[in-house]
Amino acid sequence: MPLTKKRIGIVCPYGWDTPGGVQSHVGDLAEYLIGQGHYVSVLAPAIDDASLPEYVTSAGRPISIPYNGAVARVLFGPIAFNRVKQWIGAGDFDLLHLHEPAIPSISLLACWAAEGPMVGTFHAAATRQRVAFAVTPILEPVIEKLSARIAVSEAARETLQIHLDTDAIVVPNGIYAKRFDHAVIDSRWTGNTIGFIGRFEEPRKGLEIIVAALPEIILTLPDVRVLVAGPGDADAFLKDVDPSLRSRFTFLGRISEEEKANFMASVGVYVAPNTGGESFGIILAEALAAGASVVASDIPAFDSLLAHGEFGTLFSSEDANDLARKIVSLLVDPAAHVEKAKKGRQYAQSFDWDVVAEKIYDVYEMAMVGRTGITLSSDIRAWNRFIGRRT
Amino acid sequence: MSKYLLLVFIVALLGWYLSFSATRLDRLHHRVETSWANLDGLLQRRAAVAIEIARSEISDPASSMLLTFAAHQARDASVRNRSQAETGLTGALGILLENAQDFSTPNEQELLRELQDLTEKIKMAISIHVDSVNRTYMVRGKWLIRTFRLAGTAPEPVVYEFEGDVL
Repeated sequence: MPLTKKRIGIVCPYGWDTPGGVQSHVGDLAEYLIGQGHYVSVLAPAIDDASLPEYVTSAGRPISIPYNGAVARVLFGPIAFNRVKQWIGAGDFDLLHLHEPAIPSISLLACWAAEGPMVGTFHAAATRQRVAFAVTPILEPVIEKLSARIAVSEAARETLQIHLDTDAIVVPNGIYAKRFDHAVIDSRWTGNTIGFIGRFEEPRKGLEIIVAALPEIILTLPDVRVLVAGPGDADAFLKDVDPSLRSRFTFLGRISEEEKANFMASVGVYVAPNTGGESFGIILAEALAAGASVVASDIPAFDSLLAHGEFGTLFSSEDANDLARKIVSLLVDPAAHVEKAKKGRQYAQSFDWDVVAEKIYDVYEMAMVGRTGITLSSDIRAWNRFIGRRT
Repeated sequence: MSKYLLLVFIVALLGWYLSFSATRLDRLHHRVETSWANLDGLLQRRAAVAIEIARSEISDPASSMLLTFAAHQARDASVRNRSQAETGLTGALGILLENAQDFSTPNEQELLRELQDLTEKIKMAISIHVDSVNRTYMVRGKWLIRTFRLAGTAPEPVVYEFEGDVL
């Protein structure tokens, strides 16, 4: 794809050690770009420096702050700011790609400290934030420095338009769609099964809503089973579940990428009952790529990803009765939904890294037109030049 | 005494804020230049591809004439008439491709693929450019910046009324 190799710096605001959508997106993107022959350096907060991939530089230990209804592991402050400046100064980058620059994090600091071609990606789709109007005057001059903005979904783009009065290009998060082409149907997981993947101990992942919907589903489908994949303490979870329902749950623990593809292709219906805090819903794109029948809560990110229900079924978020109805209708008559799943599979190809990374690189190229690389703003400030100070 | 100190402080703060605003505005003017250079380059390439298409087997003589005319007009248009000329070219390409048969020759397929590629990029470039122009207008409109003439001699960015969908 590229005619010339570039030096690209990517800033990830969230702790690299904690699994999350933004982190894995940044990791995949960095690896893809490196595969294309570019030099890529990622700056991210990290607890354990030793376990970082070669291309990641640690900016220090993240701190946990409550943000946007969830706990965010981010980093800021004077020491972090110095690290950011050092990294920018030493990197000799042609372009910076900042993720989620509108939250208090190293992305925002990097945007403040650097001058030159910068691209920002906005992940969050917040429905309302009352404090937003108060911080806008601080954010605006900083966010304005970005040569181009990317939003990962229509919902994220709208959030940006409302809060910061600026437009963005929509480029979705990427998946490795080819992995899901070769998914094998596993008979252990077929039948009237409800599939769930995620850290089920977190309430916002919504496994409780499936539990609450179960009695109603059993009335029509007495043999229904729930298959849960993902890390967590299964016994602790089952303790709070009605004893008569416990036998219907199977916990698979953490599964590999290959198993994940097979799992999604095999289950009767794949359910994402998340109650919020989701930026994109990459797992749904993967489920679609595997050809699963998908049921998801109608939170903004999922609504946007499934195109208001065109490629999967949406239920009213946190409404167990509605969820039960939607699951039953899919499991009772699978043939009626084959067409939708087929369409979803086709649609999921547009999230493949080959397509997504190409688009992101197009945006990079547009930002880099006629401009020299990244410098520190402090180098060009008049008074610093005057007193001969260099940072 | 403290009155004067306060005055000095206020003047210093104002000075800093003016310098900050001037940098901010300068950066925005820069951004507009960059985004325009990028969009302009892509549009030029599109005009070149359009002329290629006019010469190829895709196009019948009448459409060729129309297309060549539109492409040259788009290339030669002044900055202010550019938007209209580009829309004209879009229209000419649209008419041709709508009635087009399937093209089996590799050369023609290549041309169409290139056009499609460019269209995607132009859409992005327009969105980037329109955003930087809007931003610049907004900041230029602030009263402090108008009062102290921080925009200096930088020309006002031209607002382009591109149609949302180029193709």
